Amino acid sequence: MKWVVLVGASLLAVLLAVASGPTRIPLAELAGSPIVRDLRVPRALLGFLVGGALAVAGTGLQALVRNPLADPFLMGLSGGAGLGAVAAIALRLPGPWALPLAAFAGALAAMLLVYRLGLVAGATLDPRVLLLAGVVVGSFAAAITTAIVSLSEAEQLRNALLWLWGGLSGASWSTLAVIAAYLPVPLIVIAVSARPLDLLGLGDEPAQYLGADVAPLRRRVYLAASLLTAAAVAVSGVIGFVGLIVPHIGRLAWGHRHRTLLPAAFLGGGILLVLSDTLARTIVAPRELPVGIVTALIGVPVFAVLLRRWVRA
Amino acid sequence: MRRSSLRWWIAGVLVLAACAPRRRHPPVVRAPAVTDDAGRAVALTAPARRVVSLAPSSTELLFAVGAGRQVVGRTTWCRYPPAARSIPVVGDGLDPNVESVAAVHPDLVVLYQSPSNGAALAQLQDLGIPAVVLRQDRLADVARDARILGTLTGHPAQGDSIASALDVVAARRPPVAHTRVAYVVWDNPPIVIGAGSFLDEVGRLAGAENVFHDLRAASAPVSLESIVARNPDVIAVVDDSTAPATPAFAARPEWRAVPAIRAGRILHLPGDLFGRPTPRAAEAIAVFARLLATVR
Amino acid sequence: MILALEGVRARYPDTGRDALAGVSLGVSTGELHAVLGPNGSGKTTLIRVALGTLVPAAGTALVAGRPAHRWDRRALARVAAAVTQGEEMPFPQRVRDAVLLGRYPHLPPFAAPRPADTRAVSEALAACDALELADRWMETLSGGERQRVRLARALAQEPELLVLDEPTASLDVRHEMELFERIRGLVDTRGLAAVVITHHVNLAARFADRVLVLSGGAPAGSGTPGDVLTRETVERVFDWPVTIQTFDDRPQMIPLRRALPSPGST
Repeated sequence: MKWVVLVGASLLAVLLAVASGPTRIPLAELAGSPIVRDLRVPRALLGFLVGGALAVAGTGLQALVRNPLADPFLMGLSGGAGLGAVAAIALRLPGPWALPLAAFAGALAAMLLVYRLGLVAGATLDPRVLLLAGVVVGSFAAAITTAIVSLSEAEQLRNALLWLWGGLSGASWSTLAVIAAYLPVPLIVIAVSARPLDLLGLGDEPAQYLGADVAPLRRRVYLAASLLTAAAVAVSGVIGFVGLIVPHIGRLAWGHRHRTLLPAAFLGGGILLVLSDTLARTIVAPRELPVGIVTALIGVPVFAVLLRRWVRA
Repeated sequence: MRRSSLRWWIAGVLVLAACAPRRRHPPVVRAPAVTDDAGRAVALTAPARRVVSLAPSSTELLFAVGAGRQVVGRTTWCRYPPAARSIPVVGDGLDPNVESVAAVHPDLVVLYQSPSNGAALAQLQDLGIPAVVLRQDRLADVARDARILGTLTGHPAQGDSIASALDVVAARRPPVAHTRVAYVVWDNPPIVIGAGSFLDEVGRLAGAENVFHDLRAASAPVSLESIVARNPDVIAVVDDSTAPATPAFAARPEWRAVPAIRAGRILHLPGDLFGRPTPRAAEAIAVFARLLATVR
Repeated sequence: MILALEGVRARYPDTGRDALAGVSLGVSTGELHAVLGPNGSGKTTLIRVALGTLVPAAGTALVAGRPAHRWDRRALARVAAAVTQGEEMPFPQRVRDAVLLGRYPHLPPFAAPRPADTRAVSEALAACDALELADRWMETLSGGERQRVRLARALAQEPELLVLDEPTASLDVRHEMELFERIRGLVDTRGLAAVVITHHVNLAARFADRVLVLSGGAPAGSGTPGDVLTRETVERVFDWPVTIQTFDDRPQMIPLRRALPSPGST
């Protein structure tokens, strides 16, 4: 039953996104409108995929580091992506794909650096070391980013920051195709790890004795979650909050078993981001709000309501 | 007896010479006093001789009113006119380094009006260095600030004449708008220029209608969809390079939904003329009108 | 033999000394072995080597004939189950769901739990006399109840070998005795092999078929409780004067009093 609601809500969210926008387009003309075809549809679908990817990455990372406050961007990835993007802007790298590719490269570099640092404490990627490494790498990258930004002109400064705050303006059919081709592998890697992730919560040793191969599990899930996040950042900047809150909403509504939590988180993240983007595009039309602000504005009340109901139960 | 009458003769000639009529121009104000853009009263004991300018537009204005040689410090970004480049750099215009500013012993500092400069203003006041806070968004602001800077630096006449010229330009009846333009400053997220900006004004005087004139701000992020829906005839971008090429974002698939981008109707506005409010507004308008003619 | 350790020498990376030196242990189904020793004598290390999470520097550790560290973890979890000393409780869950985690080695990655799994959970709970706890939340359980549930989870794995690390820590006498009686019952009726790490000399002596005493990582005695637990051995290993008395054909140790050196003396 809950699944029917969730899938239904997903479809509704996408349809709403396609039908709404700063431009009034009558329902009858939706199918034929170039704005709908070239802009709204790919944007809605991309938003769904990015939201879902971030939510799944967040769920995986929270299980991995046994910390409910883990967020895909906590592990240094947003810092790395931001640094890549700002460097691309400051160096005026040519080409329409310079910014996303630079952000992706920055996120990957951060991921590898954190991974390397995490391995220092042993092959099992100790969660505390991983978290600490993530925070350190992220802060370091942020410091360099701030330095670059402070040395640039006011214009560049503002533009760099606006990109970092995240948005789906860059959505097109090509971007959607690239993301749709890229996401399945890391998503499947995490999905297959659903059962072992349940076991991780007990502690490394009990998990091993229950059949989880902890060291490869951690490495797999960390890399997959980071790859998901890197892709999300590359196409849409740093959209915070989805990866942090949606797993918790999922747990409150679905329980802790990752076999059902992961797909629920994917759909939930997709719905949250698509709805937020629709609002971001329409509330102050023709202006657009950074979508990260809207995800927080929507996500927090939903979480609060669910939390109260759960506490009372 | 002879020597004393010669002295009286010389004195007489001198007195007559002193009484001769002079050219009419406003007297150099001994102790200039103005109200700056932040509403502050700025009073100097004498026209400023050592000015530090912390905004490119103010630097340009200072040279325009003839006070170029009185400028002893500028920011890295103050590059116009070319003569400005020989002035030592004292740091940034936003959140400036007050120490390096003070090191050149200025008797006037021109600050850009912005919340980031609040601390700097307080520090300059503590050091007893007079500061004038200016900001130009529209032609009227440039005119007003030309007068202010002219008065403060002992060139009130030039300040006045620049201001009057700009008032005339601003008061012109704009031609009937014949081209619809969107000024795109950034692509992701798309940021366009609104009514609060100098560009919007210059464009209007050159015959261009800003499709985002309904936005009150100087610039704002908008949804790409609105740009497509409002369908400007031309996209204008402000360029710094000498060899303007098609901007990178024009190749992105989602931007090609904008008809003007698809058709390649992109105008490149030179940065030093259009990048910020400038006293050369008349020139800017003429250049813009010429560029518009090429895409009509 | 389900578990065969032969001359095992093991050490942790970056430590200067061996945690285990020359330890041998052979466990067959239907046997309850106790591993005794003071704190820090290498007992937990023994489990790690036995279950393949620590590779021995020398010697062999075989589970069902294969080196422990070469087993695929899921496959090993279907043969051997462990109740460890410490465990985190990641989130609130019901007892039934906690025990279901023991079925994971048997579950394919994507399938839902099958009726056979639900049955196995109920049976495991029943064997531990914990069926009435099935719908309770884990955090509401007492220490004794929680140990029963963890034992049930281990049983749900349907293992041939059961390894328990200090299972009676912080349990009172009733729960201690019940736990050992239960393990003894499982060994006798189901033919499980059980290895219980403990420092309770008396419980080990009462219930175990064989006893291995460790001291500083090295074996200090191996055999039946009566053979191994002499006064000399116990006093040497535990560094405290005791006397041994027989009860129920088993040696029972009674610690003697000894004056502590006064603070002012050398």
